[in-house]
Amino acid sequence: MSIIKSSQTHPLYKDLVKIVGEDRVSDSRVVMSAYSKDACHLTAERPEVVVMPETLDEIKSIAKICNSTKTPLVPAGGRNGICGACLPRIEGAVMLDMVKMDEIVEINEDVMTVTVEAGLRWAELIHRLDEKGYKLGFRGPYGGNAGTVGGSVSINSIGYAASKFGPSTEGVVSLEVVLANGDVITTGSGWNKDAPIFARYTTYNDITGLFLGDHGTLGVKTKVTLKIYPKADYFTYGDFGFTSLEDASQAFLEVQKLGFTEELNLLADRQSTDTFFPGFLDKHPEIKSMFASVVQEVDAQLAQRKMEIIREIALKHGGKDLGNFASQMHWSELFNLVQPLYNNGFWLNTCHLRPIPKIPALMDRMWAIFEKYQLLENGIKWIASCLGAERAYATGWVTIFAPNKEKMELALKAWNEMLDSVIETKGCPYWNGLLWEKRALKQTDQKFLDTYWTVKKALDPENILSPHVFEGGF
Amino acid sequence: MEYNNLSEYEQDLFLCGRCGDCSLADKIVASGRDVFHPCSVKNVLGFEVFACRGRIMVLNDLLTGELEVDDDIINWAYTCTTCRNCQETCTATADGIRLPEIMEAFRKDLVEAGYQLEKHEKIEKSINELGNPYKEQHDKRLEVFGDREWPEKADVVYFVGCTSAYREKEIARTTVDLLDRSGVNYTVLEDERCCGSVLLRVGRTDAFAALSQHNIEKIKESGAKTVVTSCAGCYRTWKVDVVEQGHEYDFEILHITEYLDKLIQDEKLSFEAPEPIKVTYHDPCHLGRHAEVYEAPRRVIQAVENVELVEMETNKRYAHCCGSGGGVKSSFGELANKIAADRVHEAEDTKAEILVTACPFCHKGLVDGAKHSASSMKILDLPEFLMAYVKEGKKKSKAAEHPLKTKFMKYLRKHPLIFDGLKKDAIIDYEIEGERFHVHVLDKGEIEVVPRRSENPDVELIFSPAAVEKLTSFKNEEEYAAQFGLFFKEPTEEEWIKFNLRRNIVKLLMKGYRKFAQKAGLI
Ligand SMILES: Cc1cc2nc3c(=O)[nH]c(=O)nc-3n(C[C@H](O)[C@H](O)[C@H](O)COP(=O)(O)OP(=O)(O)OC[C@H]3O[C@@H](n4cnc5c(N)ncnc54)[C@H](O)[C@@H]3O)c2cc1C
Ligand code: SF4
Ligand code: SF4
Repeated sequence: MSIIKSSQTHPLYKDLVKIVGEDRVSDSRVVMSAYSKDACHLTAERPEVVVMPETLDEIKSIAKICNSTKTPLVPAGGRNGICGACLPRIEGAVMLDMVKMDEIVEINEDVMTVTVEAGLRWAELIHRLDEKGYKLGFRGPYGGNAGTVGGSVSINSIGYAASKFGPSTEGVVSLEVVLANGDVITTGSGWNKDAPIFARYTTYNDITGLFLGDHGTLGVKTKVTLKIYPKADYFTYGDFGFTSLEDASQAFLEVQKLGFTEELNLLADRQSTDTFFPGFLDKHPEIKSMFASVVQEVDAQLAQRKMEIIREIALKHGGKDLGNFASQMHWSELFNLVQPLYNNGFWLNTCHLRPIPKIPALMDRMWAIFEKYQLLENGIKWIASCLGAERAYATGWVTIFAPNKEKMELALKAWNEMLDSVIETKGCPYWNGLLWEKRALKQTDQKFLDTYWTVKKALDPENILSPHVFEGGF
Repeated sequence: MEYNNLSEYEQDLFLCGRCGDCSLADKIVASGRDVFHPCSVKNVLGFEVFACRGRIMVLNDLLTGELEVDDDIINWAYTCTTCRNCQETCTATADGIRLPEIMEAFRKDLVEAGYQLEKHEKIEKSINELGNPYKEQHDKRLEVFGDREWPEKADVVYFVGCTSAYREKEIARTTVDLLDRSGVNYTVLEDERCCGSVLLRVGRTDAFAALSQHNIEKIKESGAKTVVTSCAGCYRTWKVDVVEQGHEYDFEILHITEYLDKLIQDEKLSFEAPEPIKVTYHDPCHLGRHAEVYEAPRRVIQAVENVELVEMETNKRYAHCCGSGGGVKSSFGELANKIAADRVHEAEDTKAEILVTACPFCHKGLVDGAKHSASSMKILDLPEFLMAYVKEGKKKSKAAEHPLKTKFMKYLRKHPLIFDGLKKDAIIDYEIEGERFHVHVLDKGEIEVVPRRSENPDVELIFSPAAVEKLTSFKNEEEYAAQFGLFFKEPTEEEWIKFNLRRNIVKLLMKGYRKFAQKAGLI
């Protein structure tokens, strides 16, 4: 039932209809409008036709026809990325809207894995696992209501529970991938046609890793197998405040090293805390920076003892016990913590990774930029928040909010300087995309890049999969 | 083309961060909000353009001139049921991005620019000429009730609505039967006209004022202080739109579910099913999300002895729409049928024997949806469902109150200062051992403690009995607040408090919960 008529002008329109039927293909300009952006302000080309596949076979056929006609093919998940990664860099692209591929294929309780179709959203997966008494390690990016598993592992997304489990890609055991020519491979123990999927590193080299973070350039992921864990019902929470960011960072590092915390979130300054949890520090005028910590365990005493140790570390570094409201709210609003911040304006992000001791250097640069552009005076609020990530590094999420269209220009100026500062203070973006590519390329070792392009040419000789990504276009 | 009405919403269109929750969200994980793929239109048609996020992108493209109005845009504009599920899901602003209003504003622009669907033109003509959208004779409006004479004056007016009068007649008949049985002094208007809802929904606002004024006048003439309607569309129009459009009236508007709830509480009616039966309830968008009536219909259903109410996967604030609203059924019948079929499947999944709703549009839509998918689900509107179970003679006497609930309510009434700082109309719902009541902040220092679950609270607080015993032992509010904070921070197996935020954080802050949390030592 198509209410908006397709223009039927895309050269592959009829072939695509043959593969998936009329209802799941459109090349109408109205329909394309809704695929013209992800959750950031950046734009590239619009796709010229969108297909919503439902099966592996359909994707194989689509890849084959694109390959034989040299038509660009761009996979998209929840389009909830914030770096423009899913937007085509070239005219004429076929976009795969993957969200109908959202089944849970198997929960394997013997080897503790879950295999899902790539278009499944994190929130949905967590619920289904919860019903069965399991949890994921990494739970999903903060945008995990709409962010898909396939999209996230294609761009190294990081977020909830990264403190203990690392980024999305750390949880991957195996992938099923459709290659540019329509062939399909299963990585990890999937190389053995007769064996179950249970291990990532077996017999050959780690081909899974090749496709992780590829930004859709090396293949279309159709299934992802992730590690799962028994659900743990005991939580302890703790919020600790510090009179300087240096003290907070040191305590944060020490806690992160222990690996106790499911989630560890540092808010770098008072403004950030007030933007997140208005009024939280009103009674603590001396506090400049804080962190919120969440411990999840299978045993109540274990959870309590771990929190006591975290508290001792915080106090040793001059920290103050602020209770646990922020950490409880932080955890209970899973996947909906960030969206209320939109009320402050449209966001401009600088997400990246960095060693924890380098957080204060970043913030010195950021504060200088905030001052220079008089952001607060212009109604532009910010959040500077860092999530602990496995072993001992952190995300740096410094975001400013342009309150209206008129302030966007000023915000963009400040934001561009912020991006420069991230790179200059030795940060590494987790995802790349339109947001980071030009800056990242300047820093990239040529031999590293050449190796990537050698792989790309071997796997996708016609260069149909997300062409021009990693070239710095747009 | 001019976008005078749409332009009013430019800030909303700017603030949408395209997170996609309104399109793809599953349950908002730990906070107990039962969202599931909110947009029932997108769920059928697939492409993002039909969900709120995609709609906002298209509207922004229209405003910048990237897209221009053509037939596709016009059709697209009328595929939104304005069900508001996206807005309810969206936490970006205090009220959520107001997509239904935005779509209606855009439809107004279309109409003003001369673009329209032929069907809508016909509907407006019929309403103007005959007082109903169905091209039915005005003097036949009350034929549904037979030869009955209606008093000119009464305490209560039953506002029948066009759909019940001409199409879903069983709803009108059974409503009247129930009112008769309850013994209330009521009447219907001899010259009732369309409430105008359908015109507003499709952007044709010219005739609305005259309709409202006419109906207000006639109700005034009847002397009624209460107007009851069995149509969710009429109810929302009276309760929300008529007032927003600047018309004043001094009578109370109640949906039949609210009125029956009252009659049952007052022991004027009672119901009993001969055998145990499982029932599920579909929330009409205009009664639920648009007017915030969720609990009254449920209480009424649960008041029927032998009936077990089971909830569908999406319910109350996040219930999927039946597909009939916003002019979709009249413009795109097949789409409406498919959406309704999805909803009927949700009902089937509960294993309920009857799907009850409380709106003639929903009823018709769901019945058509069931036919469309060859489902044998029995679908009844609430009055029709109840009529089969009216209990003659002895009315059900009220259940004894839970002593701890009574004690807690009494305590809170005596200590309104606990709620100091909360703004007018803040509502907190309390639960102890499954028993519910709520506190409604009326004004500074003034609260109302109501022995029922709130229709749409800001926050739900759940207490262990031991926590209530301890809290109610404190003499002053400071001690109470300190202990409240402690239960939250350091719960024990015996003494604990849990909470569910039912509104997003931005809205809670606007309602004064920051001070409340500070006083309770939470922050
Ligand atoms: C409110 C909010 C909070 C957020 N918080 C975080 C956060 O904490 N951490 C974080 O990392 N990000 C965050 N993000 C960004 C976003 O949630 C993540 O980047 C998410 O992983 C994107 O997933 P997606 O499915 O939407 O991918 P898309 O944006 O659709 O695509 C991302 C990339 O993956 C590729 N791709 C998609 N599917 C496939 C596939 N099946 N096969 C191959 N390639 C594919 C696309 O081509 C593109 O390059 C947030 C976004 C929002 C709106
Ligand atoms: S309307 Fe709200 S929920 Fe939908 S994409 Fe925009 S911000 Fe997200
Ligand atoms: S109002 Fe309802 S139908 Fe319209 S976009 Fe929102 S959820 Fe979809």
